[in-house]
Amino acid sequence: MQESLHHSTTANDVMERLTTTTLAALELLFSGNPELWEIIAISFQVSGIAILVATPPALLVAFVLSYYHFPGRRLLISLNSTLLSVPAVVVGLTLFILLSRQGPLGEWKLLFTQTAMILGQIALAFPILVAMGHSALQACDRRAWETARTLGANPFRALLTIMREARFGLMAALLAAYGRIIAEVGASMMLGGNILHYTRNIPTAIALESSKGEFAQGIALGLVLLVLAFSLNAFLQHFQGKGQPA
Amino acid sequence: MVIPKTFKVHALKKHFAKRQVLHEISFSLESGHTHLLSGDNGAGKSTLLRILAGLEKPDTIQLDLGRGVRCWRSIKKELQHHTLYLHQHPYMFDGTVNYNLNYAISEKLTKQERKQQIDEALEWADLKDLANSPAKSLSGGEKQRVSLARAWLKKPAILLLDEPTANLDHESRQRTLSLLEALKNSGSAMLLASHDPMHFPSLIDQHLHLDQGKLIRINEQNLPIDDTAHPSFRSTA
Repeated sequence: MQESLHHSTTANDVMERLTTTTLAALELLFSGNPELWEIIAISFQVSGIAILVATPPALLVAFVLSYYHFPGRRLLISLNSTLLSVPAVVVGLTLFILLSRQGPLGEWKLLFTQTAMILGQIALAFPILVAMGHSALQACDRRAWETARTLGANPFRALLTIMREARFGLMAALLAAYGRIIAEVGASMMLGGNILHYTRNIPTAIALESSKGEFAQGIALGLVLLVLAFSLNAFLQHFQGKGQPA
Repeated sequence: MVIPKTFKVHALKKHFAKRQVLHEISFSLESGHTHLLSGDNGAGKSTLLRILAGLEKPDTIQLDLGRGVRCWRSIKKELQHHTLYLHQHPYMFDGTVNYNLNYAISEKLTKQERKQQIDEALEWADLKDLANSPAKSLSGGEKQRVSLARAWLKKPAILLLDEPTANLDHESRQRTLSLLEALKNSGSAMLLASHDPMHFPSLIDQHLHLDQGKLIRINEQNLPIDDTAHPSFRSTA
């Protein structure tokens, strides 16, 4: 009886603490706390640039893997699929070794900069874009490419045409890759160093604040990620809905 | 566009795995003429059309587009520029009929010129009522008309048609045939693959038959013509 009462009290404490922290988090968000919004802005900026840089070459690779048959093609597809399961922290560690002062790219002095974070996020987004892009383009009717070419489109215009035809699958690839990199902590922490006003982004800030026991900011930033994930999915659903045949 | 009067194809060979699909065949196509290409399923008709459209690489080929004989590699681009290949089941891009027709028009034209050409094509193929309909939702016959309207807009020197009336009902077939007649009169050379020659009685000027990878010329009595009498038309195994 006494034990049951103790458990109930503990659960109530946790709920109360969670409510208080969430309210504090919402207050932080809506009061326009400059430090918090700066972290959010850095996150969006770094991940936005990474996805913009990674997408064109990744989709080009996806196209080549989908439309051309050459020796080693299957091996490349398998290697890319393998990269999908590499943890972000391993990608971060590899780039850390390359970019560290004694590393082969140490002269570039990129470690603990936003550029290093962008490189890490490109490395994470690339295989996702290639794998999902490859699936989307391979599912696209081969006649789309042939019709475009026979109607006089040059290879570049024909490429844009089949990307338009496969746009729902490609958009899903883009959003999946963006969702992955904006929420990853391992590579950003190792390559950016979590420097306030410079390389501190949403996931590294959450990790830091949680370790200090400052849950309000962590939850506020977690809410931002949640809203972002919902917005991206809602956008994709809306976009795909428009593509339904009339 | 300068349309060469005669297109000569020499020594065309193609194999898939261990199967020789096309033996060393030679033939010529005349502009303003329709050449029927008959043959059983799997005889190599589609492969031949796809090679001429630059979509499939042959083992060997020599083509003469009126400017001397050159090898495949050097004229592939030009061939893609001069030919238009129509699939058995035409592919419609995701968009309206207008969008699909617009695709066949040169990007160099002004917006006004493009609109005018599209209107003319819609009129030509009797598609005005469907101009803003999603092309993917059209019936087989309507898609075939959109496909022919794109050909009419592009005005290719060589039109390659793969079973254009297959799976069409009687009315759609008649409309397709009258559009093909109009395309023929515009001066394009047409190579029309069909396993049923009886579908195109008034359209055909020359009948070619593919049999086990070899090309045979057929006369009006449906009998093979001795091809040794025609130097531009040889079929040698």
